[in-house]
Amino acid sequence: MTMIDLLATRYAYVLFAVLLVLGLYMIVASPNLVKKVIGLNIFQTAIFLFFVTTAYVTDVDGESAQAPVIPKDAQMYDPYASPLPQVIVLTAIVVGIALTAVALALIVRIYSEYGTLDEDTLREVRSNE
Amino acid sequence: MSEPIPAVLIVLPIVAATVPLAAGLVRDRVGWAIATLVLTAEAALATVLAYRIYVDGERVVHVLGGSEFGRQEVEFGGVTSEFIVGIELVGDALSGLVVLLIAFVSLGVLAFTRQGGPRSNAFYSGYLLLAGGLMGVPLTGDLFNMFVFLEIVGLTTYALVASSDRPEAAVAALKYLVIGTTGASLYLIGVGYLFVRTGTLNMVDVSRSLAGEPGWIAGSMYGDPLVAAGFGFVVVGLATKAAIYPLHTWQPDAYAEAPDGVTVYISALVSTVGAYALARVTWFVFTPEFFVVNTLVIEAVLVLAGGSVLAGSVLAASQRRVKRMFAYSSVAQFGLIVLAIGVAVHPAASEQATRFAVYGTVIHLLGHAVIKGGLFATVGSIAEGTDARMVREYAGLARQRPFLSGAFAVLGFALVGVPPTIGFVGKWYIGLSAVESRLWPVVAVVVISTVLSLLYMARLLENLYFDTSTVTTDAPGSQSTDVAADGGGANGAEVDADMTPRKAAVGTRPPYGMIGLALVAAIAVVGLGFVGADLTTALDPVVEAVIESSPEVTP
Amino acid sequence: MTATVVSDPRPIAAVLVSALAIVLIIASHRRPNVREGWSVLAAVTKFGIIASMLPGALDGTEYRWSFGEFVFNIEFALRADPLGMLFATLASLLWVFTAFYAAGYMRGLGEHSQTRFFAAFAASLSTAVGIAFAENLVTLFLFYELLSVATYPLVAHDETREARAAGRKYLAYTFFGGGVLVLAGTALVFVLTDTTTFGETAAGLAAADPTLARAAFALLGAGFGVKAAIMPTHSWLPDAMVAPTPVSGLLHAVAVVKSGVFGIARLVLEVFGPDLVSDLGVGVILAAVAAFTLTVASVIALRQDRLKRRLAYSTVSQLSYIVLGLGVLGPTATTGALLHIPAHAFMKLTLFFCAGIIHVETHTDYISEMDGIGKRMPLTMAAFAVASAGMAGIPLVAGFVSKWFLLTGSVEAGQSVFAVVLLVSGVLNIAYFWPIVYGAFFETHDTADSKPLVEGRLGGDTGATMPSEAEPPTSVPTPDGGAAGTESETGRTDSEGSRDRDGKIHDTHEEGSHHGGPGPGGWESAGWRGEEGTWLMLGPILAIVAGSIVLGVVPYEAVFLELIQVVVEGATA
Repeated sequence: MTMIDLLATRYAYVLFAVLLVLGLYMIVASPNLVKKVIGLNIFQTAIFLFFVTTAYVTDVDGESAQAPVIPKDAQMYDPYASPLPQVIVLTAIVVGIALTAVALALIVRIYSEYGTLDEDTLREVRSNE
Repeated sequence: MSEPIPAVLIVLPIVAATVPLAAGLVRDRVGWAIATLVLTAEAALATVLAYRIYVDGERVVHVLGGSEFGRQEVEFGGVTSEFIVGIELVGDALSGLVVLLIAFVSLGVLAFTRQGGPRSNAFYSGYLLLAGGLMGVPLTGDLFNMFVFLEIVGLTTYALVASSDRPEAAVAALKYLVIGTTGASLYLIGVGYLFVRTGTLNMVDVSRSLAGEPGWIAGSMYGDPLVAAGFGFVVVGLATKAAIYPLHTWQPDAYAEAPDGVTVYISALVSTVGAYALARVTWFVFTPEFFVVNTLVIEAVLVLAGGSVLAGSVLAASQRRVKRMFAYSSVAQFGLIVLAIGVAVHPAASEQATRFAVYGTVIHLLGHAVIKGGLFATVGSIAEGTDARMVREYAGLARQRPFLSGAFAVLGFALVGVPPTIGFVGKWYIGLSAVESRLWPVVAVVVISTVLSLLYMARLLENLYFDTSTVTTDAPGSQSTDVAADGGGANGAEVDADMTPRKAAVGTRPPYGMIGLALVAAIAVVGLGFVGADLTTALDPVVEAVIESSPEVTP
Repeated sequence: MTATVVSDPRPIAAVLVSALAIVLIIASHRRPNVREGWSVLAAVTKFGIIASMLPGALDGTEYRWSFGEFVFNIEFALRADPLGMLFATLASLLWVFTAFYAAGYMRGLGEHSQTRFFAAFAASLSTAVGIAFAENLVTLFLFYELLSVATYPLVAHDETREARAAGRKYLAYTFFGGGVLVLAGTALVFVLTDTTTFGETAAGLAAADPTLARAAFALLGAGFGVKAAIMPTHSWLPDAMVAPTPVSGLLHAVAVVKSGVFGIARLVLEVFGPDLVSDLGVGVILAAVAAFTLTVASVIALRQDRLKRRLAYSTVSQLSYIVLGLGVLGPTATTGALLHIPAHAFMKLTLFFCAGIIHVETHTDYISEMDGIGKRMPLTMAAFAVASAGMAGIPLVAGFVSKWFLLTGSVEAGQSVFAVVLLVSGVLNIAYFWPIVYGAFFETHDTADSKPLVEGRLGGDTGATMPSEAEPPTSVPTPDGGAAGTESETGRTDSEGSRDRDGKIHDTHEEGSHHGGPGPGGWESAGWRGEEGTWLMLGPILAIVAGSIVLGVVPYEAVFLELIQVVVEGATA
């Protein structure tokens, strides 16, 4: 598979990888606490994208794929979108939101205590204490 | 078929978590009573579950959602196979012990927090939520469900760490949050990879599919790079949760800044369930067969774990704050546990080696939880009234805190691995498994870890008992000067229990609940050392399942 | 002779009796007389229990007690077999005397933390008997580690910087030896043979890969060797002499170091068995290391001015006699080695007790200050002279018999080179003990000859150089309670003790540390009827020195040699 093919047919997976690395980089490199949390969100979103992408199923070895909840005698769809990963993503989104909320609450507290959101400044302030 | 106990164990504390908050509208400080009530019920339920697992020899399964879900015959491409629909909760010989541990530690730590820890109703809501999340990790039989429970544990832990009055706690909690969430997300990617390959999330089904059991799969998928990558992500994610070097950086800050009661709780259980999850996935989802194909992968895990043992010990020895020292010590101890997890599935391991590695993993997991929880309880109690938090501030405190010092010595020597404590039994099996599988570098790491842990424990104990240079307070009539000086072993704890405290120490004396928890932990580590043989009998089904590469532990 | 194994609770009772005493000692910490009463009572009871098993041990009956499975396929079990009985009888018998002596010593010095001291002492004895009776390597290891833990408070007892450093060193050495080497060796033996019970492992080890079997021997030998102070792991022992003298005496000449030697005896005789040790060719290596240690340690002892340190190096050297005898193999050498365990114990305990009473009564720690001390402490120095003679192997004292067996055993085994080493060491023994005795009785402080060996620089060049090894006495931290030393012998409580300690710090600033040696007018004279010190200390000294003469004159009447013959028959059968 050439690079072009890859980009054309598997662009969602490429995007997943790009977003994942981007988010991770923000988490590690950004000194701003809020931006770190945004990076975390991007990181998680990449994973959601991955799951949603995998829900798109085409035929397997010539036989039509089917979702686990479709009854045996139902019509075969090809392609179809499996509902299971979508449910997973939905749950993961909820978890992600809760995490973001806690993170922001902590950041608010840090800001009110130290008056800064910059990690380096924060380190200096704490070492001076 | 569908047993209610596993579900109740998880749901009860989570639902009950709302009660202290609601009750807070009417009355203050009822959280403790509610938590005690709920967790007593949990402990009873856990005992019943353990009885059924170990005495009746059952595999207790609950399928969420009712009778129309569960294992069903699925026909695909002309082949029939059994598949799960829905989410399973499973209590088996591996999870039973962890459930027991969680239930009783959760209850025990309440004795400490009654006077020592945060007392607000909100705190106990978080505490109950955490207890529910912790219960979920060992009981779930579903990979994605495990992620959810790990995140419930994570979320509440972040909040509880930040519940300290000190502003540093918020910084520590945020650091923990960022690293912990990244770790959990990596685990989720790994689960995603497995899901793509197998189309299921149930651990048993994933394992069977990977082995190529269902008829429509051409053969085992162990050689598939996607599966190997999935394992890599899962290991890195769970190693973060278990605080394995170099993914441990959240842990010292979190342990050190959290309120003392919270430190006791999370040090005993949070990393423990992380390591449990790693053992469960490594042994039963991937199974030893996988590592025959991917030997390099498991060797990488062993290198990671060995590095954690060495680095954690050295870092611990260089700490000046006691809580940080023990936090780094956990890094080393979980390194040992992960070593054992790895040895159990290493292709070089004979059946006997696998047996010892499984024993070592679980016993050290339980033992470390009690030892470390007890140590942090002791550290918290010693700080009460003396305000000693640095290693050098411990100088001569044995004279003021004879019971706590005695408990501290017993727990400390248990951590080093002095027999007959549970700490020795765990290390013995881990070392034995390494020798049996002829993995000499692992043997070296395991035995050297004893000396390394002595490096920091001895410094503390020497300060506590023999350094009189900085004794600040001259306790008049301090007759108990010499109490509990034998410093460990079978007698230490009993000696302490035998004595009634008869002097009012300087400053505020820690409340009985806090001292009591420390003493109970000290007695427990010695007592557990003598039930090691019973624990191994209980674990035999697990051993057989791992040896046979079976995805489920059948009694 | 096959032993009949009888299930009996006495082995565990012998272990637990002093563990129970710990509780009682701590509980009665306010009343020193009651507390020391418990100590003595426990010692006597323990000896009684062990002695009651002696007839059985001689008849081939072994009493066994088991807790059941402790770890996989290994029981936590105690068995009073002849070899274990040898060590247990010795340790418990000598504890009886030490219990009296320790009371006299600690009170004579008004030491602090006496409750801790006596409790830890009882704990040490408990674990020492556990080591003696352990039926398998894991049980042995368990008590071995507990012994390290229990003796640590005794080494660090003084709480001075020096004592704490010694305690650290002690823990580091013994945990490296025990926790690392013995544990690894035990695990290896278990993996190779599926058992660690003494006497049952030899077959499995013989069938195993010889390299791994040798590795197991090396690990266990080195691990036990640390406690037996085999070079190069001996240096904790001289440092541990900072502990109170009863500790140096009973633990660091008898119980602790002998537990290391005892471990080697178990290793050679029962884990591997003499035949396998011979086949693997590891016995000669063990003997060679021991020969090196005993020679070098004797030479080092020559240059020690501090009496306890000289005794410590002498201990290092004498322990290697035992290891040498075990390494040479052969029934006669083994008999000699095992007999040297009690022989050395009696003699060395006498010597340490003498050093202790000299310290208590005159605050003298340095040999160079002891010239003419025979006038001040005639009985003590007489006992010292007898024990030294025994150490050097002069007939009629215990040391002669065991060394005779060792010598003939070495020749018999065709390893005469070790016999030469033993003879050379005997000469060295005389060289480092005779000056003390000679100086004590035949010189006075003013007219003493110079001591080039101690004062001169290493390599010759006597004269204007500073003493290298020997520190000037003024800088010596005396671990006593300063002026409060001898005034009161009874009725001191701990709180007084701890005040003394605080007071000591104060004293040190005010008047410097105490000077040992004779007063301005030389040693005062004391008669031969015990005016020189308290009978609480003199009594045990005389009793033990009498014991070492009994062992030397009628060895076949004392029970030890009989036990040893049973052991040797069993091992070589």
